[in-house]
Amino acid sequence: MRLLKEIIQEILESYPAEQRFSLPAMQDMQRRLGYVPREGLEATSARLGRPLSALYAMASFYKALSLKPKGKYVIRLCDGTACHLKGEPLLLSSLRGELGIGAGETTADGLFSLETVNCLGSCSIAPAMMIGDKYYGKVTPGSLSALIASYRKEAAG
Amino acid sequence: MEIRINGTSYPAEAGEFVLNVARRNLIPIPTLCHHDGLPEQGCCRLCLVEIGEGSRSRIVTACVYPVSEGLEVRTDTEEVAAIRRQNLALLRLRAPEAERVRQLCAYYHVPEDSRFEAMSGERCVMCGLCARACAVLGTGAISTVNRGVIKKVAPPYEEAPVSCIGCGSCAEVCPTKAIPVEQTRETREIWGRTFKMAKCSRCGEPYTTEEAARHAAGIAGLDDAGFCPDCRSRRVGEVMRGVYGR
Ligand code: FES
Ligand code: FES
Repeated sequence: MRLLKEIIQEILESYPAEQRFSLPAMQDMQRRLGYVPREGLEATSARLGRPLSALYAMASFYKALSLKPKGKYVIRLCDGTACHLKGEPLLLSSLRGELGIGAGETTADGLFSLETVNCLGSCSIAPAMMIGDKYYGKVTPGSLSALIASYRKEAAG
Repeated sequence: MEIRINGTSYPAEAGEFVLNVARRNLIPIPTLCHHDGLPEQGCCRLCLVEIGEGSRSRIVTACVYPVSEGLEVRTDTEEVAAIRRQNLALLRLRAPEAERVRQLCAYYHVPEDSRFEAMSGERCVMCGLCARACAVLGTGAISTVNRGVIKKVAPPYEEAPVSCIGCGSCAEVCPTKAIPVEQTRETREIWGRTFKMAKCSRCGEPYTTEEAARHAAGIAGLDDAGFCPDCRSRRVGEVMRGVYGR
């Protein structure tokens, strides 16, 4: 794996050194590294001459940006009204049993991160969730644990 | 141009906000997030007033509402008072330790609201003036971080900020004294850092931190750093006397 520093440098150099590109640069870091590392914010601050606090404000504001490394598979469990009523709390507790983590946490092996979100726009298939960029609907504790197992397998093989 | 506030006409300049005109004419409008020296934040929602006529009337924030010819403003209608009480009640739940909020609540007779739990020990009303002042006068060492109920004012990574110069602008502009500062003749402690005080080279009084004095001199491009504000104006007075005096 290439050095973190090099990747950050490459991302920053792909944009002109202007304030308006700080968010796109952070989004690129999130995409390529799975998070926005402190080194990344510091390098952006130095390159753009913006205070670190201004960048940290943005990075901590947007849910799409994470300051800590995310797992390989990010699970977004919908806790919107429809999904909540259709059994999201049950799914959340079975995920806790399955993975040993709660919302906002990442498994020790770095495989899964769990987030609850407000509505995935898929209320007709509630309770809904996403793993990575795939959608899953009408999820039950049973289908959930089969899903997790299949992702574990995918990661292993 | 002229605008009317509570039925009386007052002169106003294009580009001014309703609050500016009201303040100039001593018409009371409560505010928390307004500071004369900084851009408007428009977030405390205490400066609400009613504008317009009849069914066209509506409630706006005076601090960011631009004046226009013939604008009708009312600062004391029953509706304004009711919303103000509501907002103050919420601010008191947010910052129960804020003296200024408590005073305002007493002054405007805000009844207790037991529907929600008050945040414990909180003084900050999240107006963001401190971060604004830091960006304008200081070095941008602090900002608002996070979002929603966990939003707060903090340095990056919530560590003692390396770029802080201890100027104290943040604490100075805070309407509710929410930023702790410990100060003696020798040192000032703020945001988890300790700064050495700079002493006026004329009267020997501490007037700011050494870092802040250097920073200010750098911005102003002056060499008169080393004087406290009092001695600086005294010196200007002496220079003037030398120029214009006998
Ligand atoms: S509430 Fe879950 S998809 Fe809308
Ligand atoms: S003073 Fe106008 S919103 Fe705070």
